[in-house]
Amino acid sequence: MNKNIYKPIEAVVEDIITESQTIKTFTLRPKENFSFRTGQFIELTLPGIGEAPFTPSSDPNVKDKIDVTIMNAGSVTSLLHNIPKNSSLGIRGPYGKGYPLEKFHGKDVLIVGGGVGLAPLRSLVLSLFGQIDKYKKLVLRYGARTGGDLIYKDAIPEWSRKPKVDLVTTVDVGDPSWKGHVGLVTTILEDLPVNLGNAVGIVCGPPIMMKFVTMKLLDVGFKPKDIYLSMEKNMSCGLGKCGHCRLGSYYTCKDGPVFTYEEVKDLHDIWD
Amino acid sequence: MYNIYFAKTEQLESFAKELKKLARVFAPLAKDAQSPKQTDYLYQRLCEDTALAFNPYRTVEPLKSFFTYKYEKVADYFNSAKNLTDITEKTVIFGVKSCDIAGHKIQDFVFLEGVEVDSLYRARRENTIIISGDCTDFKEVCHCLAWEIMPFPSAGFDLNLSPLNDGFIVEVGSKKGQELVNQHKDYFTPVKDTQIAGRNAKRQSILDRLKRHLLFQNLVSKDQVQNLIREGFSLDTWKEFMLNCVECGGCNFICDTCHCFLLADSSQKQQQNGKLRLWDSCQYKNYARVAGGANPQKTRAARLRFRFTKKFDFFVDNLGAPACCGCGRCIEVCPGKIDIREVLKDLANKLKKQQ
Repeated sequence: MNKNIYKPIEAVVEDIITESQTIKTFTLRPKENFSFRTGQFIELTLPGIGEAPFTPSSDPNVKDKIDVTIMNAGSVTSLLHNIPKNSSLGIRGPYGKGYPLEKFHGKDVLIVGGGVGLAPLRSLVLSLFGQIDKYKKLVLRYGARTGGDLIYKDAIPEWSRKPKVDLVTTVDVGDPSWKGHVGLVTTILEDLPVNLGNAVGIVCGPPIMMKFVTMKLLDVGFKPKDIYLSMEKNMSCGLGKCGHCRLGSYYTCKDGPVFTYEEVKDLHDIWD
Repeated sequence: MYNIYFAKTEQLESFAKELKKLARVFAPLAKDAQSPKQTDYLYQRLCEDTALAFNPYRTVEPLKSFFTYKYEKVADYFNSAKNLTDITEKTVIFGVKSCDIAGHKIQDFVFLEGVEVDSLYRARRENTIIISGDCTDFKEVCHCLAWEIMPFPSAGFDLNLSPLNDGFIVEVGSKKGQELVNQHKDYFTPVKDTQIAGRNAKRQSILDRLKRHLLFQNLVSKDQVQNLIREGFSLDTWKEFMLNCVECGGCNFICDTCHCFLLADSSQKQQQNGKLRLWDSCQYKNYARVAGGANPQKTRAARLRFRFTKKFDFFVDNLGAPACCGCGRCIEVCPGKIDIREVLKDLANKLKKQQ
């Protein structure tokens, strides 16, 4: 058992899809066996440059390829946005606990995404579609800044046509070409078609969005233990050793990154 | 229960010489040999002609510096089949103290337990012999007893030395230690009851002196500290002590229990292409920053508190004990004179006033 926990495996960039001005999806083909559970994250290395954490956005049942949807937001991601197809990247992981799908069985599943936060949720949605008979209903609520910032533009209409699915999108700022709902994502969380006694809410997006969505969900009657949040901290080693992603007495990398609101509500500064 | 022996000073010297043939041997060296009870001790690799010195208290460097380095390569990229764990050298360390052993438990917890084992750390651990020693004196900053750590170890070493008259009582603490003694039988004699009594008396003496030293300091105790940190979260203590912080990270780097590291990538231009591990400090501004610029530990006060909540809340929750061994290294190193004992006492005093 002499595995080197810091050594990445090689993955080749097979395809690059431009989702919006700042977001691209990279399809990676790992050269060794690699699998993950939905909601777990990976560390992606740009050799000689740096490493950053991402939650795959693809269906975990697809074993030979993984998609990673990346917003150009920092030093590593800006360089990742400029790599050509067929580049070699490094992957470590998967890390963390992912979504506890078995706890969602037999329930109404509300999924609320904000901006690039829809990326890990796409992986979740695709997993749920794979065993849709296990869930009562899938209620999707997705908000982005403008129509141009929406991602998975082709997939979303397709999802909304699936049985058991109720999907609404919104943009913070509309424009003449936008025909849909305008307003923050919290404005499409009124009168949710869910049975509150038997529902879970899964939220992923920028911290400020997660904060207000969580408050809204509590307000409409969700219990803290039924709200699942993807905490964004500085995950680096992925193994609870380097210290950077500590959140109270948890490490986001190994104890999360998905936490129930119940688990984190008494901690300080969770939305910072 | 392992065996206990006695070795005369010359015999221990010869033993150390023998060890040099088998391994790299490190031992503390007095900065000023003329004043052995005031000076600092630094680890040095024993060469042919350096004599073994006995340090009355802990060294300047933390024990962790033998197991993780401030800057090192920890992995090659995928294009290499090299395994970095194959190149660790056999090492013997003299002069380790009880506080270091307590701190080392935290390092072991981080690197040997949890989700996965750090194989590089484990290889170094397995290739290292720890020869500890009783404290026969203490520094002003020493406060191991506050955390219920004795100034002499009872476990966690391979061999432990207790100085007595013209030699040392050598207590075996592990299989590795027993093997080492068995291989060098000539240097060790069976211990006598009177010698054990002598060790006990010396231990009681240092214990009494250290207790007297700490008595008037009125330190926060082990069972109070977690509550104190939780209840003191919003107190001004953090802002007040932060004023002196220059964000050098010295407190973290010199700490026996601090383990945080930065996993970085070496530039392709460099020969050492791969993953680098560098000691990191939670007192640095960008420690917790994420892509896009959000930073949950924006202020120096928040970061000072972060260091304390890690030691006294996180580790109490996760390991059942605070991550401070009372070595006082962070107190000595701090250019802003931020004293871990004073921060805790200030929290306690402020909370008392609030009641």
